[in-house]
Amino acid sequence: MIELDAKTLAMMEEIRSLGRTHIRPMGLEADRTATPPPVDHEFYLICTRQGGLVSKMIGADEGPTALDWKPVRNFLIGEECAYWDRGVALSLPGPGLGGPALRNTGTPEQRQRFLSIFEDHSKARWGAMAMTEPEAGSDVARIKTRARKDGDEWVLNGQKMFCSNSARADWVVVWATIDPALGRGGHRAFVVERGTPGFEIIKVEHKMGSRGYETASFVLEDCRIPGDNLLGGEAFYEAKKGFKASMATFNMTRPLHTAHGVGMGRAAHDFALDFVRNEYPAQGRRRQRALERLARIRRGLHTARLMYLNAVWLAKNGQSNAMEASYAKMYSPPVILEAVAAALDILGEAGVRNDKMLEKLYRDVKILDIGEGTQQVQRHVVARQMLKFPMD
Amino acid sequence: MRDFALAPELEELRAAAERLGRAELAPNVRDAEAAGRWPDGVLDVLDGFPLGGLDVPESLGGVDAGLLAKVVILETLAQFDPSGLPGADRPGATTGALIACPDQALAAEVAASCLDGSAQSAFTVIDPDNGSTGIDWAPAWPALRWIWAMENDTLRLLEVTGTVEPVIALAFQASGSVRVGFDQTTERGRWELSPRVALEVRGRARLWGAAICVGIAQAALEETIEYTMDRVVFGKPVAHHQGNAFDIAYVAARVHAARLVVRDAAASFDRGERDAGFWATQAWLEVREAAFHATNVGIQLLGGHGFIVDHLAEKRFREARHLAMAVGGLDAAEFDVAAEVLDVPDALLASLEQR
Repeated sequence: MIELDAKTLAMMEEIRSLGRTHIRPMGLEADRTATPPPVDHEFYLICTRQGGLVSKMIGADEGPTALDWKPVRNFLIGEECAYWDRGVALSLPGPGLGGPALRNTGTPEQRQRFLSIFEDHSKARWGAMAMTEPEAGSDVARIKTRARKDGDEWVLNGQKMFCSNSARADWVVVWATIDPALGRGGHRAFVVERGTPGFEIIKVEHKMGSRGYETASFVLEDCRIPGDNLLGGEAFYEAKKGFKASMATFNMTRPLHTAHGVGMGRAAHDFALDFVRNEYPAQGRRRQRALERLARIRRGLHTARLMYLNAVWLAKNGQSNAMEASYAKMYSPPVILEAVAAALDILGEAGVRNDKMLEKLYRDVKILDIGEGTQQVQRHVVARQMLKFPMD
Repeated sequence: MRDFALAPELEELRAAAERLGRAELAPNVRDAEAAGRWPDGVLDVLDGFPLGGLDVPESLGGVDAGLLAKVVILETLAQFDPSGLPGADRPGATTGALIACPDQALAAEVAASCLDGSAQSAFTVIDPDNGSTGIDWAPAWPALRWIWAMENDTLRLLEVTGTVEPVIALAFQASGSVRVGFDQTTERGRWELSPRVALEVRGRARLWGAAICVGIAQAALEETIEYTMDRVVFGKPVAHHQGNAFDIAYVAARVHAARLVVRDAAASFDRGERDAGFWATQAWLEVREAAFHATNVGIQLLGGHGFIVDHLAEKRFREARHLAMAVGGLDAAEFDVAAEVLDVPDALLASLEQR
């Protein structure tokens, strides 16, 4: 049994309560209307008020800008949020995927400037991160968004897509290159604040599932940002840490993806479990098959959970976790998709009905094998490290 | 919060096992198979560890270092050569039966004979639908004396009083191979265990095999990497063809996962958790798949070389499958977890309110 401390348990209880009353109903509504909850949704205010969810998740004890955050706790909370609805979980106010980038790469001044806004509990605020481009998805080394220094400012030009919450974010961490010829060595991360001239949202995507959060595309046209919005400062990149910094971000977001998957798989499992308890005959071959399917689902989810906890534990202890993060991200999505599919099998034809929720989970869960590096990217990452697999 | 690090003393023990495996086991794998046993010098060192007594309670003559320590040492040794482990590790897979046996005086007698090297013990699960006339495989050395047989939740202790029959088996030649009919045994005890305790007994036995499988799978992965990085086909190393690289990467992920679940289940026993038998059986189900996959890829990517005895890939392929048949095989394990799945709470969230 994994032991949870009292504070984590209390937070999990809070999430569970909010999950029932808000997160799941919001997720179902967003799915039916194909529209994420509005930015002024009452739940987002509940999340941001003093002592609320967001301040706890970003480590109120340590201060929101502290490096000594509680990743294992946050990942467990991420799992629990995704149990109720991953889409809504991803839409929750807070620094989002920009948080790990700021914590890993940002200077103390930048962490203070961009993370302390979440101490304002009067309104919901979001952060975001943008890496993917129309012609650079899995191969992030090929990003084309250009950054040019002009006096004390940086000028950004390019297009980003599949960027979660960017349409409602106060700031977006944008990855760009100062020179494509430098490859990964030319990568830089910038914080672009909302309202900056030249930063324009051009499209909010319509998706098969995970509709509880916005996935948006934006353009940067001669977008001028202050020089000190270069994440980590010039010295950081002179030490050739640019690409490594983006990869370090993935080393945390990939296990988080796995944590979300475990939560979604658990939701499917619990739904199927209730169905077996209430609808299946008390004995017989059909029941036996269902129980074996449930056990297999449990096995996959337990294994995936150990893998993400292991990856996060390594990071928390200052150890390299690149391989373990990719192992978790490689292993888990297919297992979790299989879990949801098996849960559907348990329900049979009834499973396809929208009011049974499993058909939604089946649509929602597929993105796990794509976002934060596809299954194939994870195998590339491992092959590069383990087999010196050449980069073309 | 969960700690994935090994305690310093266990890490020290693991390092010692690794040194022994590298120096004494790895260079003599095929010789040991031909001889049908590990060299006496190796067995003396292992008895001094003591390998067999690591997870045996002090009350039964062991050192009570815990099941986590045991699985870590088993996976480490198995990486170099698992073939003699069934013979060398006594009471091995039967430790769970010793612990659960209500007649602890009798259990202590059995444990003592195993730990002093005079007797071998074996564990078998009898299919309640089909019955069984005997145990189809056990190590040949030391002489098989004790059989723990489990049918549903009934545990029986049989003492071999007749003759055992040498057999040729799929793997583990360095432990020798015998079968014995139950008509060649005398029943020393029969006990009805609670379903939970019975599953603990089977779970511990499965975890023993699972730990060895982790070592086999790790070794298969390492040899696959070494060979495919060296061997060139179509102008580049075998490993640098994407299809092969992806296969190897996936094997690596599965071996990593297998190690995590085995150690987690072992730690669950050490903490005395209620559902340790369930999680051990789940771990075994995970590992048997991972080990099959790793050893199969291990042969496949070596091509014809994987099929001949000049390499150890074929041996690992046999060993992983051999262990997968233990403790009632796949069906018994799936029945066990299916029987419990409605009642076992989430390993992480059990203390939270019921939904």
